[in-house]
Amino acid sequence: MVDLAWKMLFHDKLRFFITLSGVAFSVMLVLVQTGLFGGLLENATVTIEHMGADVWITSRNSPNLDFVHQFSESNVERVRALPGIKRADNLILSFMQVSLPTGAEETTVVYALEDFAAWGVPWKLTAGDLADLKRGPHVIFDEFARKRFGDFAVGDYREVNGQRLKIVGTTKDAKSFTTTPLAFVDYQRAQQMQPDLLRGRASYILVKLEAGADRERVMAELRRILPHNDVYTAHDWAQRSRTYWVENTGIGFNAFLTVFLGCLVGVVVVAQTLYTSTMEHLREFGTVKAIGGSNWDIYKILGKQAVLSAIFGFVLGYLPARALEPVIAKADLKLIIPSELSVTVLVGTVLLCLIAALVSFRKVATIDPALVFRV
Amino acid sequence: MTAAIIAEGITKEFREGQETLRILRGISLEVSQGEIVAIEGPSGSGKTTFISILGCLLGATSGHVQVAGKDVNPKKPSRLADIRRQHLGFVFQQFNLFPSLTAQENVEYALNLKGIVGAEARKEAGELLDRVGLEDRKHFLPRDMSGGQKQRIAIARALCGKPDVILADEPTASLDSVVAEQVLTLFQKLAREDGRALLIVTHDSKVRRITDRVARIEAGLLAA
Repeated sequence: MVDLAWKMLFHDKLRFFITLSGVAFSVMLVLVQTGLFGGLLENATVTIEHMGADVWITSRNSPNLDFVHQFSESNVERVRALPGIKRADNLILSFMQVSLPTGAEETTVVYALEDFAAWGVPWKLTAGDLADLKRGPHVIFDEFARKRFGDFAVGDYREVNGQRLKIVGTTKDAKSFTTTPLAFVDYQRAQQMQPDLLRGRASYILVKLEAGADRERVMAELRRILPHNDVYTAHDWAQRSRTYWVENTGIGFNAFLTVFLGCLVGVVVVAQTLYTSTMEHLREFGTVKAIGGSNWDIYKILGKQAVLSAIFGFVLGYLPARALEPVIAKADLKLIIPSELSVTVLVGTVLLCLIAALVSFRKVATIDPALVFRV
Repeated sequence: MTAAIIAEGITKEFREGQETLRILRGISLEVSQGEIVAIEGPSGSGKTTFISILGCLLGATSGHVQVAGKDVNPKKPSRLADIRRQHLGFVFQQFNLFPSLTAQENVEYALNLKGIVGAEARKEAGELLDRVGLEDRKHFLPRDMSGGQKQRIAIARALCGKPDVILADEPTASLDSVVAEQVLTLFQKLAREDGRALLIVTHDSKVRRITDRVARIEAGLLAA
């Protein structure tokens, strides 16, 4: 079969390039914006994902991971007493002030546990030994903190909430939604550093269930014995935290708006170039009809051109978006482009290009076939 | 001789604002197989409208058209496309070739639309181009060919699927006299040897050399 759609498209290379540029720009915009959005949301719940807790017990109506109220740390004893519970530990999450050598102050999010290793946190230790946290006034900072706290190395000291702490290790990829650097200290040390707020109190109870335990039944029992707390599965707690940021900060609307504008730009560019191309090829389409082709034959040509523009445009937008990942990482941002997102954007691009072609379909349907005789 | 195309009492009206323009006022014409008929007339007389109706590209306001024994119903566009595909071939003044396709592909694409594909289409397209004397130009794009060569590709394309009727609109208007003569000789062969009916809309008096009849349209009517 002679592929008229393909030949027509490639015959006018400049026009094809313009169409592809429009599609590629839109694809890149959508992928980068959605990827950054995904990266920020991942930061919002990255610790939940890595803690390995089956159930999170929070203070009443906590909106997200970072905005917590403390509750009595003795609650954990009642949790441990329940059947079906394999392990339950208090977790402290608290914002504290770091005094910098420059005299300025920065904020850090302190995570404190009795036994970090038992909960798999921190998950990427790049220097030092986790066990050192219990051996004195020690702290582990995430490498990202260097941007805020100035350069530091294991063995250096920093003052946190008025206490001089020795840095005994560094981690990687431990971030928060607000980009406040994370610090890890021993549970009791944290309580000493912020006694007014934390003495005898905890922010969360992390719960690991026995294998084969009925999760719903255990959670119902937890709600019964802790009526002033909320009980979530790890998945639901992460979801609640993400939803808070999406719905209450405008970041969701911002991402949606950018994606919408990206799609709009793509559709307008493709519709415009396809329509102009159709207008310029009207005589050819009229000829297709004259030599026995139907409207359907012409729709197939336009449809194929739209799909080809979408696929080539997607590839041209996808590759630079992927290439941006390391560049964006250098700015301490995450660009997450999972395969599901790529497939969705590809399918969306094809659909939008076909929608853009509808304007041309309409024009072709109303071609006066007798135009082939006009000079 | 059997009639290849019959037009009876064809009228065509167009609305232009509040006004109704009567382009054709009842034209009847019958062309037999192997016959060449020239359609002449001044500009604006309705020649192109008439040939568009005969070519199933335009519906008549009233009247009746039959192509190769099949009634043309302008209210069924898919049926019109079928008749064009099976029984009609077109040659245009401006050639109307696809500029992105080579000579071979231009002919092959027309065959594809008629359901002939693959090696068979390639072979038939090659033979048709051989027949119009373009054996050494098959893989050239139209932009690299002369007017006469382009018109020969158009004729080869019009012959795809062995149509009963070939409708040509000013086929020699864009050609110099030598090439025009070659094209007319080719038309003559198609009618005499293959038995195709040819209707040629023309202002060119040279065309009369090969025609059996001249139908003259004036003010939407066939002149006596």
